[in-house]
Amino acid sequence: MIRIDHVSKSYDGGASRAVSDLSLEIQSGEIFGLLGPNGAGKSTLLNMLAGVLAPTSGTIEFDGVNVASDPLAAKRNLCYVSDSPDHLLRLKGHEFLRFIADVYEVPQDVRAERIAGLAREYGMEGELDNQIQSYSHGMRQKMMIMGALLPDPAIWILDEPMTGLDPKASWLLKQSMRRHADAGKTVLFSTHVLDVAEKVVDRVGIIAHGELLFVGTVAEMREHFRSNGSLEEMFLELTSENSPFAQNAGEKDGAAVTEAK
Amino acid sequence: MARATAPQAFSWRQFKVMLRVIMRGEQHLDSTGMGLGDDSSERGKGFWGGLGVGVRRAAMGFLFLLLAAMFFMVGFMLGELGVSPYTAFSLCVVCLVGLTLLTGLYQAVNILYFVRDLGYYLTLPVSATTVMWAKLAHFLGMSLLGDLIILPVGLGCLLSNGAAPLAWVTMTVAFALSAIAVNLALVIICVPLMRFSRLAHDKDLFSRAFGGLIVVLALALGVGSQFALRGDGLASLASGSEQLLSGGAPAAVMGLLCPPSLLARPVVEGDALGALAALLGMFACVVVYALILSAVARRWYFEGVQALQGAGGKRGRRVEGAELARATRTRGTFAANFARDWKTMVRVPVFFNQFVLSSLLMPLYFALIMVVSVFVGFSQASEAGIEPMALLEMIRSLTALLTFDSPALAWCAVGVLVFGLFLGFSAYSFTMGVSRDGEDFFFLRGLPMDWSAYLASKFVSPFLLSTVPMLLLIVVALVLLGVPVAPSVYLVCVYLGATASLGLLSLGLGALFPRLAWDNEAQLVKGGGATLMVFAGVVVGAAVMALPALALLGGALWSVLAVPVALALALGLFVAECAALTWWVLGPCARSLSRRER
Repeated sequence: MIRIDHVSKSYDGGASRAVSDLSLEIQSGEIFGLLGPNGAGKSTLLNMLAGVLAPTSGTIEFDGVNVASDPLAAKRNLCYVSDSPDHLLRLKGHEFLRFIADVYEVPQDVRAERIAGLAREYGMEGELDNQIQSYSHGMRQKMMIMGALLPDPAIWILDEPMTGLDPKASWLLKQSMRRHADAGKTVLFSTHVLDVAEKVVDRVGIIAHGELLFVGTVAEMREHFRSNGSLEEMFLELTSENSPFAQNAGEKDGAAVTEAK
Repeated sequence: MARATAPQAFSWRQFKVMLRVIMRGEQHLDSTGMGLGDDSSERGKGFWGGLGVGVRRAAMGFLFLLLAAMFFMVGFMLGELGVSPYTAFSLCVVCLVGLTLLTGLYQAVNILYFVRDLGYYLTLPVSATTVMWAKLAHFLGMSLLGDLIILPVGLGCLLSNGAAPLAWVTMTVAFALSAIAVNLALVIICVPLMRFSRLAHDKDLFSRAFGGLIVVLALALGVGSQFALRGDGLASLASGSEQLLSGGAPAAVMGLLCPPSLLARPVVEGDALGALAALLGMFACVVVYALILSAVARRWYFEGVQALQGAGGKRGRRVEGAELARATRTRGTFAANFARDWKTMVRVPVFFNQFVLSSLLMPLYFALIMVVSVFVGFSQASEAGIEPMALLEMIRSLTALLTFDSPALAWCAVGVLVFGLFLGFSAYSFTMGVSRDGEDFFFLRGLPMDWSAYLASKFVSPFLLSTVPMLLLIVVALVLLGVPVAPSVYLVCVYLGATASLGLLSLGLGALFPRLAWDNEAQLVKGGGATLMVFAGVVVGAAVMALPALALLGGALWSVLAVPVALALALGLFVAECAALTWWVLGPCARSLSRRER
């Protein structure tokens, strides 16, 4: 379970706030989709969850482990796929996976089998001996996803994971996320692709200007809006300049989320 | 359509736009190596950031002026030795051509071809000639700044000869025209090379080959300078340079690479009219080379860029089954980090050249100096009627007297410290350990990383590369000189203590103040900041070696300590320093990394 409690992140001594007093709970066995326009604060929030950024205030816990006070224990339960797959480009595919397996202490008896399985599943069997820098963007993204799945973490966080993936890999990723959640684990991902969110998520959170405007299921969202329109239409309405949620959120922290619920 | 009718015509308007974009928005190298090029990507934030950039610029400016003053003094001394201004100018031009050949081709290729934004430029309706001239103008600007460092040799000679102010101006203009011409000639060679050479299309291989060549030649230059600077070596070098320009095949080569160099004599030694005519001739040469380059670029520049866009690396084999299991077997965090760091260092050409190749060639450099010095010493002994073997036996009989109560051993230890201080110049391979990871560092931040193991691995690779080969060399020297075992072990321990504490302090400082915001590796290791870091290594070395050195001098020079006490104290101080620094690196520095944000 992920518990985010009144988390804020500000820069320049508080002059600019990327995330503002955000609270959220994501249960085990759940796929949670984080939606929001560009610059909404999605990546900042996910980076704080991954321990790459420290919150200015508030706490984050994974299954009761505080990320700030015990980052190593928290990270052992977590795998994070960032929005850029351009990491450790000089390593070969199998060297990258070995490094990840070593850092996460994946046992010897399962790692080769898992690596082979993931490579087969994502069509990367013939690429493992090549340096990651020679991969296409989509292949690099696949490698990052394989690296995140390899330790079989309790919590899986992905930032824009569908970017650059071909339809098959995209489908595979959605299947992986579903399998992961069905095994009682937690999946949190951000996306711009509303169709993906609509089909995959159990619950959705909409974030804009660093504040959570809505949390609930897609059906609840429809109920709230009394609309049969697509998620895209609801999203646009919710995050528009004239949205009452956005205005309320700007005036009174947390009120919009409560109202939406 | 405009592109179809006038495919690669030069456009002055587009040139200005492209130059502005390249100077402000493109990642490029500080080719002067003096921090006088662009550093826009590293502007500090806020008051302290701005102050930091200001201080760095001031320090680099000071360093540039210091080197210029040193070269000026060299020129002045040449003048005092009777070397004519033209001979000194010839030396400047030959050095200019040599240095440009040594580093210029690699820099030109880097700036003109190995730029991420070039693929985007291909999509714009801008001609190849315009793009290339915009990039070239930027390259020439930076190169000229670097080249000017050599000019003070000629100017110093002018001062010594009491030349008129006009002679200073004409020599400066002649040198600037020579510098432009040689850089243009270089790019004329570079454009077809990049279009047709397979080597050039493999960026890694190309960078590795040229980087290796540069390092080897630089070391050769270093060894050569040891002898050039002895006696009248520099004056002989200057007169040799003049010979190069005076006729025959060398002059033809110099004429091709730098045509203005053949017109230099009337500029420096002729009357006003002759000097003006020669300067006009030099200018004409530059114009001709610019026209040739325009023609060459119009034909082949974009073709070369397009060829590069499609160039790929070697493909690997299919790894599966038992082989995959073997390749991914379990390691500890330290070993995993060490392997990752080592592979990255070896596979990135810039890092390979800077940290691996140069470290491995350094002992070779010293070995060469030792061999040549021994050879010279023996030949001088032979001339004096002393048998070389008898001389060696005499030295061995002296070194056999080294014991723990002899001041000579303390002096030898001081010598080891001086040698260790000299190695401070290569301490930047420790300082840049964390910075080498760049953006990858923030990927590692998302992992359950043991930062102490991470830093330990960052210590081991440069230590193995810089300290261990030198250690072997020292051991060989100690054995050859017949130093008894116990004093030899002591000297080796002093060496290890000095280098380990130097490495640990450098690594810790690099971990506390890493440079992670770079876009290409060369930006990290070749900028003005990197140059400053090389010199800072000596300061760090002086800091860690000061107390042990004082202890040794207390025994050997000032006699305030008994020699055995001084020796024991020096070694004890190193042990204490290493212990404290290890705690500091693996504790506070590692914790600082675990909290570092973008």
